[in-house]
Amino acid sequence: MRSEMSIFSSLGKPGILSEIQAFIAITRREWTIFRRYPSWIIALLIWPLIFPMMYILTGRALSGPDGSGLAVFTKTTGATDFIGYIVIGTTVWMWQNIVLWDVGFSLRNEQMRGTLESNWLSPTWRFSYLLGHTGPQIISMAMFVLITAVEFGLLFGVKLHGSIWLAALVMIFSIPAVYGLGFAFASLVITLKEASAFVFLVRGLVMIFCGITFPISLLPGWMQSVATWLPQTYMIHAMRAAAFENASLTDLWPDLKALILFGIFWLTIGYLLFTWMERRARQSGAIGQY
Amino acid sequence: MQTKLLSRPTFATQLRALFVIARKDWKVFWRYPLNAISNVFQPIIWVTPIYFMGKAFSTNGQATGFAAYSGTGDYMSFILVGTVLSNFILTVFWGMGNALKEDMDAGVLESNWLTPVSRLLILVGRTLTSLLTTAITSLVMLVIAAALFGFRPTGNTVAAFLTTIPMLLGLYGFGFAFAAIVLIMRDANTMIDVSSFLVQGLSGANFPVRSLPYWLIPISLMLPLTYGFDAVRGWLLQTSTLLPLRTEVLLLIVFMFVTLWLGAWVFYRVERRVRTLGTLGQH
Repeated sequence: MRSEMSIFSSLGKPGILSEIQAFIAITRREWTIFRRYPSWIIALLIWPLIFPMMYILTGRALSGPDGSGLAVFTKTTGATDFIGYIVIGTTVWMWQNIVLWDVGFSLRNEQMRGTLESNWLSPTWRFSYLLGHTGPQIISMAMFVLITAVEFGLLFGVKLHGSIWLAALVMIFSIPAVYGLGFAFASLVITLKEASAFVFLVRGLVMIFCGITFPISLLPGWMQSVATWLPQTYMIHAMRAAAFENASLTDLWPDLKALILFGIFWLTIGYLLFTWMERRARQSGAIGQY
Repeated sequence: MQTKLLSRPTFATQLRALFVIARKDWKVFWRYPLNAISNVFQPIIWVTPIYFMGKAFSTNGQATGFAAYSGTGDYMSFILVGTVLSNFILTVFWGMGNALKEDMDAGVLESNWLTPVSRLLILVGRTLTSLLTTAITSLVMLVIAAALFGFRPTGNTVAAFLTTIPMLLGLYGFGFAFAAIVLIMRDANTMIDVSSFLVQGLSGANFPVRSLPYWLIPISLMLPLTYGFDAVRGWLLQTSTLLPLRTEVLLLIVFMFVTLWLGAWVFYRVERRVRTLGTLGQH
């Protein structure tokens, strides 16, 4: 009887230490996979430069050989440095885009590799699988932003007229909203399987409504209303103000407050969706299907 | 003892293989109908920031600065033509390099390689469905974009269409060479994204190349696609072109033959090397 009981009792003894160990193991695995493909170095060096470049070069063409268009742009936006203006908007867009692909598809990639089901059987807090992906992702994104600043500073002479620390603070305040959305996505992707179209939709919303290359005052009224419901609008506005307009913490506070509220909202939605997905997957037995 | 091949590859069997590959991709594509909708709206999403950015550079709706470079102030028609051509360019880049990566990940590349079908034909087959679906989705995209932003082609549509043929065939040569690099490097996404983004950007998908910084113009003029974009716009929108239109078309025809030959040569050399190393199935 005693030996029969031992069959049904769990062999794993989950505790805080084992959870931390699992989290570190997942982070280390992600880091190893990240380094396995040397093309990440190219991505990290080239993407910060070439994505904004396409908009910058289009802006250059719109300026005209005599710069008459640029004078109109400066008057409309109030921005003296149109390259810096575009770089901030496109960098925020790229950050959200990369998180949607990396964190949003992390569980789906496990599913495709056929390892999700076996991982699910381990006596670990399952949310660790998502959190473990987030650590290396934040580090790589910090490198990404730093490289962007260095490249545009050196190659295009973009100079900060504000505080680098306040710009960094805006980024820290943005983390919960950006990654909360990523967590929500990860659960959605695992349920819907082929969900690239949803990533395109979300990043498309950011691209159209949040003013990555133009002031949102140019949008029609209804589009401006939509923009107020997207955290990236506040991120872009606050980053531009902190980096180029010498804004103080008090000036930035309305945007930071909005980012905190969006952060709480998206982290909650992300966690709730994850628990719902987990329960649903266990009931339907569909966790390994793809 | 003489080794005898069991298969008897003929022209008809090669064509049948091509058809089978295209049919399989067609089925997979329509299995996820959301992707088709996404293909229509994605380009519209990408050009929307340019539409509003253009407004920030315009006075009374006139982009005079842009007109000074391109010969037309209608910057949205200029960009929409570039967007449609870019869709096809991406199809050829993605269609082959990415298809190889997908097969590697799914573990079917080695078994596909064992079939008595020309390997270049396998690559070409993977682009056929994409070309057809790109044509359909680009047409729908253009209709919607015309309603949203306005699209006013005033020139010769047939000549513009004929000009795209040597341009696209030439891109197959590029695609073969990129497929070869995928075989070596294995992770294709970054490479394909970066290279196609750079090539499209520098060849003027979204702006007249005359507006590029002076140190980038020589690179742009060395890319055959620059003349493709320029000639198609010249025919369709009557923009001012870099060279006379007939010279640009001639350049595209020469480009087609050279890149097709060069791409196939690079691909076969790399493929032989990968087979020798035995790394074909690794990913």
